[in-house]
Amino acid sequence: MLLASREIRRAPVRFGLLAGAIGLLMFLVFFQQTLLSSLLNSFTGALQHQTGTVLVYSFEARQNLEASVLSPDIVAKVAAVPGVDEAGPLGEATLTFLANGQQVDMAVIGAEPGRPGQPTKLISGRPAITPGEGVASSEAKGFAIGDTVTTSAGGSPVTIVGLTEQSQFNVQPTLFVTFGTYTTLRKAANPDATAVPPSAVAVIPSPGVGPQAVAASINAAVPGTAALARSDAVANAPGVSSTQGSFTIVLALAVVVVALVTGFFFLILTIQKTPSLTLLRAVGAPAGYLVRGLIQQVVLVLGVALLVAVGLVLAATAAVNAGLPLTVEPRALVTSTMVIVGLSLLGVAFSVWRVLRIEPIRAVSRAGLGGIE
Amino acid sequence: MKVALLELRRRPWRFAPAVIALVLLTVLLLILGGLLDGLYSGFTGALRAQPGELLAYAADARLSVLRSRIDAATAAEVERAPGVAQVGVLGTALLGATVPGQVTEASVALFGYQLAPHGVPAPPSQAGKVYADTSLKAHGVKEGQTLLLGPKRYPVSVVGWVSGTNFLLQGGLWGNVDTWREVLASARPDLMLAAGTYQVLTVSTAAGADPARVAAAIDVATGGTTYTVTRSFAVDALPGIKQQRSTFNAIIDMTFVVAALVVALFFVLLILERTGMYAVFKAIGASSGQLVSQVVLQAIVIAALSFVLGAMLALAVGAVIPPEVPLELTVGRAIEVALGLIVMATLGSGLSLRRVVRIDPATAIS
Repeated sequence: MLLASREIRRAPVRFGLLAGAIGLLMFLVFFQQTLLSSLLNSFTGALQHQTGTVLVYSFEARQNLEASVLSPDIVAKVAAVPGVDEAGPLGEATLTFLANGQQVDMAVIGAEPGRPGQPTKLISGRPAITPGEGVASSEAKGFAIGDTVTTSAGGSPVTIVGLTEQSQFNVQPTLFVTFGTYTTLRKAANPDATAVPPSAVAVIPSPGVGPQAVAASINAAVPGTAALARSDAVANAPGVSSTQGSFTIVLALAVVVVALVTGFFFLILTIQKTPSLTLLRAVGAPAGYLVRGLIQQVVLVLGVALLVAVGLVLAATAAVNAGLPLTVEPRALVTSTMVIVGLSLLGVAFSVWRVLRIEPIRAVSRAGLGGIE
Repeated sequence: MKVALLELRRRPWRFAPAVIALVLLTVLLLILGGLLDGLYSGFTGALRAQPGELLAYAADARLSVLRSRIDAATAAEVERAPGVAQVGVLGTALLGATVPGQVTEASVALFGYQLAPHGVPAPPSQAGKVYADTSLKAHGVKEGQTLLLGPKRYPVSVVGWVSGTNFLLQGGLWGNVDTWREVLASARPDLMLAAGTYQVLTVSTAAGADPARVAAAIDVATGGTTYTVTRSFAVDALPGIKQQRSTFNAIIDMTFVVAALVVALFFVLLILERTGMYAVFKAIGASSGQLVSQVVLQAIVIAALSFVLGAMLALAVGAVIPPEVPLELTVGRAIEVALGLIVMATLGSGLSLRRVVRIDPATAIS
């Protein structure tokens, strides 16, 4: 053990560079993980953080809220299904607003006051109750309680009465309004619209009934609809699985690269040190002692790399403007660290094998020492 | 040179770890590139196929086809603007389509058009007839079939095929403007537009006219109610296109760097093991340059071989991947990956230069 740590002290540049390189790769993993979770939250936060635990779409919308259009009478049909406690229409559309003299695209979500579909992550103010009121996602910078916004097509202004967090939709600022206000805004944006039907129905199941069971009952009872538990609606929202899939490939690649770099580095080091290690074996050092030293060096290097990576990811999330709020998730960081450490130890397995294979006799058979090879 | 190639032939297993790593990286590069190309084509095909050099949107639509509304009076002003040769109207609706005999619905983008886009015939004369993008074949669509669009099941029959015309990853269906308007009325009353109002205008400029100047002239002529841009600008303005391209390119670049790293580490290891052999070579007169050339040659051969194996594997992966994954494996992308891999392998192996130069010929007899 003493030998392993002393070697690191004697060659700080070599080990420092390795720890730095692995730290950068780990940072890449952590930062992408942070980006992924923040991105998914910005895609579907508004669905995740609203009161309806079941969402009913039109069947042909393929679980896409933006593509879903329901006949208004579906709301009553859903409300009549056994196991449904409350049901209310939910409308969603992306509209262009004028805010502080600038055009900005916002996702508008309309739900009837007191009915399912209300935002659950209110951080200040109150929910929209009367026509012309709205709750804005706090990530939409520049909005404050008391501000008014209008669609670029004109029409009645909406006064911001509350702010939410983690409630964006499709990585856009989001405005929660009453269903009546939603209808007014849609008609202002497109006066030719012959009707503004709900996009979905938000449902709260009766006490003791699970969202999955209610979703199944609605699907069986109301033809032409696709009811999903909120968690399924979030997981199946467009873009979520493809984003998750793409990031998973990249993260897996980065993790494998960390293991590969660690493995290659310690293999090179082991081969370079083979004569010295052979000598140590010849003077009585057990193979286990040398292997423990190797593992200790790997763990120390990974430990320093981890510190570098965590420091960098904290600095980056504070400094980088990725266009969406970045939040580090400690649990994901711990999981990734465990996977990286596990795979890196696997990566040095070949070095361990080389150490275990060292024959002490070769110390005296080397030509340079007068032996015969 | 001969020794390097002989070693590769006589002891191929020695190079197996590097080849395996590079084959996997080749597959990754080709799949990532194929996904990027497929996503780009699936998102933007319909706009890229438009016949006019310019597209005119409503100024407040922020270049969203779905939110843009241009009425007949504005369209007439656009037609009269200096430098404009021809104007065609365009409208789209994103819908689910029931395909006969299929359990799952297909996501489609129905277009109503006047001027035929590249590769698309003139609009069908009858309402309810459409040309379908060939990508919809993967969803079970066949020529002559009747597809039912939207919740009210508006029927359209497929009268022929077009390709590369998808929009926002939804299969392109191309009908006349009456079909589009009837489908909107049936499926999306909230997006319905008045008679004579369309979403976007596709504008062809007069011969010799500068498209940028014509675009500016159109917006002046309409009093700022339109925002006219070139086709390529409109394509890049589609939501997520720029970010998608930059993210994928960053990942692809990183993978190339990883390939160089793998080659570099592998050859450092190989040179460490072959120090004695190189010392003998130097002792009998071989120069450092000759030895480095051998290393680089081996790296290039390994990269080329890995690319061939990786490309075959990527083709196999492409064949079993579900049709809804927008993967487009192209020759251009394959050439780019092959060249990139060889360059990075050369650079990676070149990092061993210092170690080879430092080998002392005297080691051969010590």
